Amino acid sequence: MVTKEEAPNLEADRNLVLSSLEHDQLVRAKKHHIPRRILKGPELAVLWTLRVYLLFMMAVVIYQVWTAAH
Amino acid sequence: MSVGSQPPQTNGIAGDEVVVITHEDVDRAHDRVRVSEARAHRGFFHGARLLWLLVGPGILVMLGENDGPSMLAYAATGAKFGIGFFLPFVVLTFVMAIVVQEMTVRLGAATHRGHAELIFDRFGPFWGWFSMIDLAIGNFLTLITEFIAIRAGLGFFGVPPWIAVVIALAILYGALMSHRYWTWERITLAAAAFNLVFIPVALMTHPHWHVVGHALITWHPLPGFNKDVLLIVLADIGATVTPWMLFFQQSATVDKGLTTKDIHFGRIDTALGAALATAAAVATILATAPLFAHQMTADNFQAAEFAQALQPIIGRFGASLFALGMVEAGIVASITISTSSAYAFGEVTHKPHSLNLPMRQGKAFYSVLTLCAVAAAGIVLIPGLPLVYVVLLVNVVAVLAMPPALVFLFMLVNDKEIMGDLISPPWANVLASGVVFILTAAGVLFGVSVIAPNIFAALGGK
Repeated sequence: MVTKEEAPNLEADRNLVLSSLEHDQLVRAKKHHIPRRILKGPELAVLWTLRVYLLFMMAVVIYQVWTAAH
Repeated sequence: MSVGSQPPQTNGIAGDEVVVITHEDVDRAHDRVRVSEARAHRGFFHGARLLWLLVGPGILVMLGENDGPSMLAYAATGAKFGIGFFLPFVVLTFVMAIVVQEMTVRLGAATHRGHAELIFDRFGPFWGWFSMIDLAIGNFLTLITEFIAIRAGLGFFGVPPWIAVVIALAILYGALMSHRYWTWERITLAAAAFNLVFIPVALMTHPHWHVVGHALITWHPLPGFNKDVLLIVLADIGATVTPWMLFFQQSATVDKGLTTKDIHFGRIDTALGAALATAAAVATILATAPLFAHQMTADNFQAAEFAQALQPIIGRFGASLFALGMVEAGIVASITISTSSAYAFGEVTHKPHSLNLPMRQGKAFYSVLTLCAVAAAGIVLIPGLPLVYVVLLVNVVAVLAMPPALVFLFMLVNDKEIMGDLISPPWANVLASGVVFILTAAGVLFGVSVIAPNIFAALGGK
């Protein structure tokens, strides 16, 4: 946040910010989380495919690191 | 500090709403005022000024991806296969990069949120943390390779490794010191412009332009199909689109303050960056093509070795430019990649994350950025560093990160709740899904080839 020392011309800065930035561009507005997406069938399937893919690839990576270490 | 009286003009904020502004808001507002002033006027000069004000993330991401390992991949392409199929192929890979990166511009301008933050909020903490950690590991390993390129490039001039590393860190730190996104962006753009030194190097080799034109139009001569060709094809694709690019451009678009009105210029920025990066990549292939004509082997060539090999052909000055180009590639990428890690960390942990932050307010952001760079630079100074193993890990981690990053990008850009009318039209989705499929498949194949090199022996290769 802006203190008096950092921004002596606070009123002018405030007017500048409010006239130049969109509401959701403000740092304050970005502190709010965007609601979680409600996933449907195909989207859930995609995410589960990604999970399986990641498990497989992580196993491959661990095997690779282990092989290289020995 | 809260300010509660009537604002004159509120951009969607109710007149009696308490508004909190920060230093970051004020800096961004100053940048937006200049954009509004330029937009208010017509004419060539004001149009050019508006373009100048709005370009940045696209050029940086494309020239940033022309990093040390990428330029080595292009150099190896020219040295091993000469002028032919790979010239138009590299152009095509940058077209694919435009398709992917354009989506990040729209996402950033429409939501004013970074890629990691959107994944975290829309798909939950598991995917949010996974994306951030995977990106951080991949970026850190890539940073090591960037400092290796810097060390090797400056080594051509006899600069000791520790001085090379200190020079790179000083440039990175110097860009950060302004604590203004705008200044950081302009300093990094100025450094990135040196990526184009590969063009005069290519001209010094006196390329046969009719052969170059023939290759670009006909994609001939074809290199033949074997394991080596497949690997270099996959490496060139991997040299063009990587996970950090998605995260960086979206975060930089947000930090720059671009809005939906600026998407057109964001697209021009991305296309311009791709054109410049293509020119540098094609020039690198042309520059090292004489090594192919002279039947020199390019296997295991590092940056300085390419420059040394080219010296009898283009002279000391040309070879020096080539080595400087490698240094520049490493420095710019180290700046952009470490920044993308810091952005992602701030987005997922909801700590302040902006290059407009004063040091006091952005301790976490600047600490992550600096720590990543300093640690990677320090590792490079370790004697007997197993470079091959680091490169292998970079590729593997990129393979892990790329499919999720692309899938989430595609899902987010078609998310009507956050994108509104800016979701992709059907034709764009067909194009984007094709590109996403190709990039994902190429990444997986490349990963498999790195993990199990003999698997492609069945293709009849060497």
